[in-house]
Amino acid sequence: MRIGGWDATWLLWIAIIAVLLFLVVSPFVYLVLTSFQAEGTGAFTFQNYATAYGRARYIDALFNSLQLGAGAALLAGVLAVPLAWGCSRTNMPGRGFVRMLVLATFITPPYTGAVAWILLAGPNAGWLNRIYVMLTGAEAGPFNIYSFPGLVVVIALYSFPYIFIFTSAALELVSSEMEDAANILGAGTWRTMRKVTLPLAIPAILGGLIICFLEAIALFASPAMIAIPARFNVVTTQLFQFFGNPVRVEVAAAYAMPLLGVTVLLALVQRLMTHRKSFATLTGKGGERRPIDLGSGRWLLFAYAMFVASLSVFLPYIFLVQAAFAKAWGRGFAWDNLSFRNFHFVLFEHATAAQSVWNAFLYAGIAATAGVIITLGVAYIVARRLVPFGGLLAFLCVAPFVIPGVVLAIGFYAAYAPPPLALYGTAMILILAFTTRFLPIGYVNASAAIRSINPEMEEAVRVLGGSRLTALRRVVAPLLKRNLLGAWLLIFIPATRELSSAIFLYGPSTKVVSVMIFDMSEEGNFEYLAALALILQILTLPLLYIGQRALGRDFMLRRTVT
Amino acid sequence: MKKWASLIIAAAFVFGPMTAHADLKALEEAAKKEGELTWYVAHYTSEGAEELGSVFTRMYGIKVNVVRTTAQVAYQRLTQDIKNNQTICDVFSSTDLGHYARLKAEAKFEKYTPENTAKISEVFRNIDPDGFFHTTAAGQVVLTYNTIKVKAEEAPKSWQDLLNPKWKGKVSTGHPAFSGYVGTWVYSMKKLYGWKYFEQLEKNKPQIGRSINDTVTALNAGERQVAAGADGSTLFSAARGNPLAVNYPTDGSILIISPSSIVKGTKHPNAARLYMEFLMSPEASEINVKHFGIPIRPEVKGAPGTQPIDKIKVIRPTVAEIDKGIPVVIEEWRDTFRN
Repeated sequence: MRIGGWDATWLLWIAIIAVLLFLVVSPFVYLVLTSFQAEGTGAFTFQNYATAYGRARYIDALFNSLQLGAGAALLAGVLAVPLAWGCSRTNMPGRGFVRMLVLATFITPPYTGAVAWILLAGPNAGWLNRIYVMLTGAEAGPFNIYSFPGLVVVIALYSFPYIFIFTSAALELVSSEMEDAANILGAGTWRTMRKVTLPLAIPAILGGLIICFLEAIALFASPAMIAIPARFNVVTTQLFQFFGNPVRVEVAAAYAMPLLGVTVLLALVQRLMTHRKSFATLTGKGGERRPIDLGSGRWLLFAYAMFVASLSVFLPYIFLVQAAFAKAWGRGFAWDNLSFRNFHFVLFEHATAAQSVWNAFLYAGIAATAGVIITLGVAYIVARRLVPFGGLLAFLCVAPFVIPGVVLAIGFYAAYAPPPLALYGTAMILILAFTTRFLPIGYVNASAAIRSINPEMEEAVRVLGGSRLTALRRVVAPLLKRNLLGAWLLIFIPATRELSSAIFLYGPSTKVVSVMIFDMSEEGNFEYLAALALILQILTLPLLYIGQRALGRDFMLRRTVT
Repeated sequence: MKKWASLIIAAAFVFGPMTAHADLKALEEAAKKEGELTWYVAHYTSEGAEELGSVFTRMYGIKVNVVRTTAQVAYQRLTQDIKNNQTICDVFSSTDLGHYARLKAEAKFEKYTPENTAKISEVFRNIDPDGFFHTTAAGQVVLTYNTIKVKAEEAPKSWQDLLNPKWKGKVSTGHPAFSGYVGTWVYSMKKLYGWKYFEQLEKNKPQIGRSINDTVTALNAGERQVAAGADGSTLFSAARGNPLAVNYPTDGSILIISPSSIVKGTKHPNAARLYMEFLMSPEASEINVKHFGIPIRPEVKGAPGTQPIDKIKVIRPTVAEIDKGIPVVIEEWRDTFRN
């Protein structure tokens, strides 16, 4: 029995490593190899690099991305840090409400936010400009979404929740005793926050900034919608051009290298920073934590939170709803402009829009299930030290975190679109890519869950003659039901809206809703697009509800991947 | 079965209209057995394309998977399919004639001459003497404007008028790297006035979308006031009550011949043929007219408010010009407009 159990575990280990090689290593290897191959012949060449970096326009795009990332991350920090501090350390009113709004921001796909902001800050027709003109009588309003700052704002608005999550996780661990000490020594609330609380959270804030930066440079849809009219290119839109007519996967692979390099480097820095143990104060043990009384300042902070939320949630959704129910969005709020036509069109008249919603949920569901099973297996093997080199498995599971979605997709395309696997245009290639992309989220959750279980219970199974797999199936999995559901949702929800990898991998019959929304933006059909985007958001609500019931209200705002 | 059907079609050609009815019936029966087809289409607006697909489904019970994108995206998709040895698309309808020249040269099309080719208007017939692609739609790039912001007498009358500094920050266009209409327009403008036309246009800071139909949205929203737009999508939107109008430019509107082809190796050859016949049928022309496109059947009258193309000055670049010209102007465009 013992021998049998040992064998089964090894078989499982081999199976898992094969799966991980297939999902993680091979697309990466293909990406690198392809960048050195001549098109058609496959001969070794540096020509792709020469083409990819041979024009000033292409190089400009690289620098634009770096500036975009830095700008968006800094602005997101300004938006997020006060909110995180307010929610986790102070007596700011409506803390639960503010957290809820941060969650609402978090589940708004960046492309939906970008469209809403086109409605809000289009240079002439945007609602903010129209209101400004109405109030001041000026010729034109000051806002222009179709500009570099416009893109920075839109990206920052929908990535600040990352910094919020990081910062509040760290602030919640700072004990009030340290702040009390500062108070006793004569420092006021402001000074204490500046000199004691924030410095303790700095590594976490920087970690969040880096995540935002990486998110910003890897985004595809918002730049594609805003940067084309604004007349500049970033790395991701340039990659899309290389994937355009004619398809130059080899050049795209070569051009993706700096994006990959920057991401790997910064992810390492971020890891070193947030995992550094020198801040022994952040042990999470002992110490009392009381909210700081801000006096009347608490209303000021609340007002700031509401200001941020109006930019990221209130205003965008008001005008998305308006557009979704309008005959022509520019005509504004009028009864004769009200119509259900857009919903009817996307749900019943359009040949593929409704199908695309179903595809997205189906693929995301399969990918989430596969992801949870794989990462649960790996986490178990690693935690119980069943095999040597378990750490390698763990590493492979979290490695996709440093591969931007577009780059991952190009790797998958290079590896699996052509024969022998010939997965081009199939649902399988999307499902595989989604599984890989969200493995890190699955792994972090699964491994935290496994570590919470005492091995004694499994040992009881073994003593009674059950195998490891029986223990895993009959004891571990049932005990972890909630955690696994949580991990599943944390993969499923973002996978339903994933665009940056899908855009390179979908086929006509495997279009997912994010791609559909992006296609609709081509013709500027914002009314249909808003209707479809709202349908996607509404379908997400029951999932959020289930997650919150099972795991608590904050389940999406915890630190899940670093 | 396939051979048999094509023999009948060939026979139909030889024996003329007398047997036509019965033969289309045979094609129809064979097509129904295939049950569906996939259509990559850049003609029309999304609504127009979806309506054509659903009317075909209603007529024959054959499902049409409508994949509507801009011309260059459709072409990219198709070439990517071909490179990966997949035949997903059955009927390919782009607005860039160059695509047809290239794909025909690479032998990527099935040769099929629809019976209806003889029945469409003279000007649209025989664009490919070898019968690999056929006109199934036509439209024009014209001057369009928002009637609330711009009075009719002030609206631009010629392409040159778009360069007037009074339109600074008020012009809207699509992008030649996406739209076949825009590509053909850019090529024609370059031929007429040289690339300096666009260097001057750049000074007016046009808002550049992707599809030419994006100009309709930009005008409707009041985001921009004048545009190089498509006659069909603009007038269709105007008919729905939006404040839009068109001017046929005095220096010539650009005639866009939009062909369709059957893709080589199609898994639904009969459905594809029947669809080609359908696209050239009076029924399809009627739907086109509903969406303010130019009817290619002479017996179908153009939509109210549109000018027949024999009454106005029209610029019509050749297939060869477009084939060579559009890839060049896309690069020039990117250098000038930096997108």
